[in-house]
Amino acid sequence: MTLWFVRGIRRGVVTTRYPARPDETARYLPTPPAFRPGTLTREIADGLAAVCPGRALRRDGGVLVYDVGACTACGRCAAEAPHAVTGSGEFELATTDRSVLIKRIPLRGEAL
Amino acid sequence: MTAEELRAAIARQFGRSLHIRTLDTGSCAVCEQEIRLLAAPHYDLHRLGFFFTPAPRHADLLLVTGPMIRAFEVAARKTYDAMPGPKVVVATGACALGGVYPEDPFTHGTVDSVLPVDVWIPGCPPGPLALLHGLGVAVGRLAEKVRDLPFTAPSYPERDGGDS
Repeated sequence: MTLWFVRGIRRGVVTTRYPARPDETARYLPTPPAFRPGTLTREIADGLAAVCPGRALRRDGGVLVYDVGACTACGRCAAEAPHAVTGSGEFELATTDRSVLIKRIPLRGEAL
Repeated sequence: MTAEELRAAIARQFGRSLHIRTLDTGSCAVCEQEIRLLAAPHYDLHRLGFFFTPAPRHADLLLVTGPMIRAFEVAARKTYDAMPGPKVVVATGACALGGVYPEDPFTHGTVDSVLPVDVWIPGCPPGPLALLHGLGVAVGRLAEKVRDLPFTAPSYPERDGGDS
């Protein structure tokens, strides 16, 4: 604290860059899921949408619509279909455009 | 004023001193817990030039948590109106983004149905690192990257436990 203060007075810079270094605790955070399109069928997608406690997952024709903003990273979809769902590791997801948080994930064997 | 101009104005005017007012619109308080951690020595928000203020009249950024219960709507509008411009509204957490509570007689379900939201921070709760990223996005210090995230494996490597 004292060193930081003296350095700030000397250089005239009172703030630091972010991130100063990667945070090693980040990999323990629960993160929203990522999906394997090659293993997602309509039945699995409907099952995932059924177990989602929020309104993050729904199926729209041949597409799984995934609202990352609505996801609470509870892990129920990963428990429902562990072969089709994995952790994404992404948590720095802030955005100025709400619509970019809504991802459309194609199901197996179906065109977008 | 577009969001881009607003971001530029805030980066110019509040580059090293941006004051945050938090607003709880019916949250379960875990978002507040994470926001409190920002001021702790581990994350030390103040080194980045962000400060918390108890008064909306001193605030540049409104950090809104919770699903915007209807009982709080008047207070939320008054808080927003009391802030001097330029001002930024940040919706924080899955509740504020519309993921947890539906629109019903008790809640609006999303913050942007009442206040003009500029930045959305997903997460339940968003951790301090996610909140820092969101504040960075709010002042235009960190580039947009979320648009290009695919959320399809195998773009992401297998993770070795620790994940929910």
